[in-house]
Amino acid sequence: MVDAARQPLIEVKTFTEVEKVEGYVGNFVVTLREKTKYVRADRCNGCGACTKACPVEIPNYFEMNLAPRKAAYIPMSQAVPLIYNIDMDACIHCYKCVEACGALEAIDFSMEDKLVEQEIGAIVVATGFSHFDPTPMTEYGYGRFPNVITAMEMERLNNSAGPTNGALIRPSDGKSPKQIAIINCVGSRDKRYNPSCSNFCCMYAIKNALLLKQMHPDTEISIYYIDIRTPSKGYEEFYDRARESGIRFIQGRPSEITEDPDTHQLFISSEDITLGKVIEREYDMVMLNQAAIPQPDQNHMSSVLNVAQSPGGWFMEYHPKLRPIDSPTDGIFFAGACQGPKDIPASVAQGSAAASRASRILHSDSWQIEPTVAVVWPDRCVSAKGQACGICARACPYGAIDYTKGLAAEVITAKCHGCGACVGECPHDSITQLHYTDAQVLAQIRTLLAVEPEKKILAFRCQWCSYGGADLAGTSHFEYSANERGLRVMCSARMDADLIYEAYRLGAGAILYSGCHPQDCHYITGQVVGAKRAARLEKIFERMQMSPGRFRVEWISAAEGDKYARVINEMQASLDAIPEDVLKAEIERLRPEMAKKLTKLDEIPGVAQALVQVDFIVNEMVGKEKVA
Amino acid sequence: MSGFTDSNALSERVKAIPGGDMLMMCYSCGTCTSKCMIQTKLESSYNPRRLIREAVFNMDDAAFADKTIWLCTACDLCYPACPQKIHISGVINAVKALAVESGKKTPYQVAKVDELTCVACGLCVKICPYEAISLVEKRVAFRGTIPVASVDQGKCMACGMCTAACRSTSIRLAEDYNDAELIDTLLSWLGTERVSS
Ligand SMILES: Cc1cc2nc3c(=O)[nH]c(=O)nc-3n(C[C@H](O)[C@H](O)[C@H](O)COP(=O)(O)OP(=O)(O)OC[C@H]3O[C@@H](n4cnc5c(N)ncnc54)[C@H](O)[C@@H]3O)c2cc1C
Ligand code: SF4
Ligand code: SF4
Ligand code: SF4
Ligand code: SF4
Ligand code: SF4
Repeated sequence: MVDAARQPLIEVKTFTEVEKVEGYVGNFVVTLREKTKYVRADRCNGCGACTKACPVEIPNYFEMNLAPRKAAYIPMSQAVPLIYNIDMDACIHCYKCVEACGALEAIDFSMEDKLVEQEIGAIVVATGFSHFDPTPMTEYGYGRFPNVITAMEMERLNNSAGPTNGALIRPSDGKSPKQIAIINCVGSRDKRYNPSCSNFCCMYAIKNALLLKQMHPDTEISIYYIDIRTPSKGYEEFYDRARESGIRFIQGRPSEITEDPDTHQLFISSEDITLGKVIEREYDMVMLNQAAIPQPDQNHMSSVLNVAQSPGGWFMEYHPKLRPIDSPTDGIFFAGACQGPKDIPASVAQGSAAASRASRILHSDSWQIEPTVAVVWPDRCVSAKGQACGICARACPYGAIDYTKGLAAEVITAKCHGCGACVGECPHDSITQLHYTDAQVLAQIRTLLAVEPEKKILAFRCQWCSYGGADLAGTSHFEYSANERGLRVMCSARMDADLIYEAYRLGAGAILYSGCHPQDCHYITGQVVGAKRAARLEKIFERMQMSPGRFRVEWISAAEGDKYARVINEMQASLDAIPEDVLKAEIERLRPEMAKKLTKLDEIPGVAQALVQVDFIVNEMVGKEKVA
Repeated sequence: MSGFTDSNALSERVKAIPGGDMLMMCYSCGTCTSKCMIQTKLESSYNPRRLIREAVFNMDDAAFADKTIWLCTACDLCYPACPQKIHISGVINAVKALAVESGKKTPYQVAKVDELTCVACGLCVKICPYEAISLVEKRVAFRGTIPVASVDQGKCMACGMCTAACRSTSIRLAEDYNDAELIDTLLSWLGTERVSS
C-alpha cells in the first residue's frame, strides 16, 4: 500500500466508504464517504504525542486484540497517510491529546465526514475476505481455553512486528509452547458452517509450521488434516520440506479439544485414519485454521455495486472459465479473494489482470457491449399515452429503464445487460430485445412445432444454465427423448407468458420452462422475475385442468447435464401416460382458451411478416400436407 | 466395477434404507470414530468410519463381521459432530438391518425372557429404548398359549433397562450380573468404598 501511494498516478483513499455507484461503464459517478479522523492531515506531523497522552486503552483490532491501543492511535505502522486518528467510539473527551498536540493544533473535534462525488471510468473491486469465528464450534473450546488461538492470532504472535515482537508465548501463562497443534478445516468443508474449501489453509498451515520450526527448532508441531491440498507450482515440494523438517501430519479431523483447567494444557482427541485408532495427544497450544468467509458487508456491497453473488456469498464473475475477472456489469472487475478464497499469487495475478482489463476502458472513446439490449417502441408504450405503468422499470434488475409517467419508457442502453425481464413483463408488448425479438422467438416456436406438435417437448432454456445443462447432457452422451426441441433465450425472465400460450395454442405436447438456480442467476434477480411468472403460469394451467406434466418448471445449472436428461425423460414419460386421443382433445379444448390469453401478437412490429416467412419456408421444406 | 452400480450392491441397499441414504457423503475424516467412546473404552476394533468405507466398497462380509454394527448404541454423540451432517448411527443401523436380514446374529449377549414367569405386563416393552421387545402369543410349556415378552436379537443392546423394570424378575441378560458386583464396580469408578452396614 505504501508503494502504491508513492505512485504519482495512484490516489489512495483510505478510511473511505463507497456509498453509491451510479452511471455505467466509462461514466460511473461514485459517491464516497471520507470518514473523518478528527486529525487534520495538513497539520499532523506524526509525532505521536496524542497517543502518549491518551488515557484510554482498548483492544487493538489490527493485533487481533492481543495488544492494547489508545483512543488516539495509528491503525498500523504502514498506514497511508501516516497520520493519527481519534476513535470517537472509545474517546472519553478528556482532551489530553489536544493539550499534547499543542501549537500544531492538528486535532480538531469539530471535523465531520465528507461526502464526495467522483467520476470514474472503471471499478476494480478488491474487498477481500473475512474469517469464520470458531466460537460456535464448542468442541474446540475457542474463547474458553486461552491456549486455543486462531490462525490470524498466530500470524500476529509469530510476527517480529507483532504484539510480542515475535516472541512465541502462549496466552495462559506467557511460557513458550513446545508442543503445538494446527487444525485444518475449522468451519470449512463443514456443512454445518461453510461447505466449501477455503483454498489456502493447507498451505499456510505448512508455512506457519515451517516458520515456527525455523524460529524455534525445539518445538514439536503436528498438523491435523482431512486432505492436504497442494495444487499449485512448488506447493507439493513445500509439503515435502515440512515433513522432512519433522513436522507431523495426522490425517484425522479432531472431534474434541479438552483442557486441564489448572495447567491449561490441551488434549486433542482424533482418529489417526491410517492406523484406524483413536489417539489423544497433549499440546501446549493449538492453532485453528478458520474458514475464509465473505466480508460481513458483502451483501450490502453487492447491492451498492449492482453485481451478483455466487452461492456462498462471494461476488460472481461473468463466466467462471472465460471471463473470470469481469463482473457481469460492464466496467466493474474483481480482484482477489472477494470473488472466492484465493492465495496471494492468485490474488496478485487477478489484480494485475483486472487493472489491465480496466485500462482498456480508460483508453477507449467508445465501448462495445453485448448487442442483446432492450429497446422500447415509444408509440406502443402506454406511459407515453398518459397511463401509469413502469412495469418494465420495476422488473429490470439493473435500474436500466428510465420511467416517467407521460413519457415513453427509455432504456439506458449502456446499463442494460440484456436479460429481457422487461420484455417478458411488459403487458403491452411495447418493449423488445435485440436478437431475441418477439418475431424471432415466435418464428422459432412456430418452426419447432410445425410438424406433430403434440409429440414435442418444447424446452425454453436460459443461455447461462439450463442451455449449458442441455449442452453438457449432449457432450456427455446422456440420452434423452428425441422429441425435445430446445429454444434459447438469455434468462428465464425473458420467457414471456405470451410465448408459452402461443406454443400451447399451436398444439405443443409439453413445455419445459427452465433456467438457473436462483443463486446462479447472471442477472442478479432475473431468475426471480422468471420464477414468479412460472408460478403464475402453473396456477393458470392448473385451473385450465391441463394434464399433469405438460407444463414443467425446473432450475438446472450448466453442470447438471444428468438432471436435464432426467427431466426431459420424465416429461416424455408423463406425455406417454396421456392417451393420444385424450391429449389431442385436451389440446383442442385449450386452444381457444390460449388464444384468449394472448395479446394481439401480429400487431407487434415484425411478427406478422416473420410468421408468413416461417410458414413459407416450412411448407417448402416439409411439404404442406404434413404441417399442423 | 459392476459392483458400484448394481442395485444389489451393499452400498445401494444401505442407501435404500431410511438413515442410510447419506452413505456416500462421508469423506472419511474420522471425527465420528474419535467422538465415540466405544473404541477407547470397550472394543478396540470399533470404528464407524471404517464401517462406512466397508459399505461404500460393497464389502458385505467385512461389514457384516464388523463389531461396529452390534455395538453402536445410537447415542448420536457423533451425529452433531459430523461435518458432512451424516446421521452415522442411521447408516450403522442400516448395515445392521441388512446383516440381520442375511441371518447374522449378534456375538454379544441379549436380554432373555423367562417365559414361565413373564406376566405380559408390558413394562419392558415400554421402557426398552431400542424398541427391541414386543408381546407375542406363544405356546409355553405348562402354561398353554399365552402372551409373553419377546426380544428381537437384532435390536437389543443389552442395556439392562428391562431387567431393572421387570417386577417379576422374568427378563435378564444372558450372563447374570450380580448386583453386589455391579455396585462394587460402580463404587470403584467413583473412587469410594462400600460402607458396610
Ligand atoms: C492466517 C492466514 C495466513 C495466510 N497466509 C498466506 C500465505 O502465506 N501465502 C499466501 O499466498 N496466502 C496466504 N493467505 C491468504 C491471503 O491472506 C489472501 O490470499 C489475500 O489476503 C487475499 O488478498 P485480497 O487483497 O484479495 O484480500 P484482503 O487481503 O482481504 O484485502 C482486502 C482489503 O479490502 C479492504 N476492504 C474490505 N471491504 C472494503 C470496502 N467495502 N471498502 C473499502 N475497502 C474494503 C479490507 O480492509 C482489506 O484491506 C493467508 C490467509 C490467512 C487467513
Ligand atoms: S480526548 Fe479522546 S483521544 Fe484525546 S486523549 Fe482524551 S480519550 Fe484520548
Ligand atoms: S430488464 Fe434486462 S433487458 Fe430490460 S432493460 Fe433491464 S437489463 Fe435490459
Ligand atoms: S451413535 Fe453409535 S457410533 Fe455414534 S457415538 Fe453413539 S455409539 Fe458411537
Ligand atoms: S464424521 Fe461424518 S464424514 Fe467424518 S468419517 Fe464420520 S461419517 Fe464420515
Ligand atoms: S416386564 Fe417382565 S413380566 Fe412384564 S412383560 Fe416384560 S418380562 Fe414379562
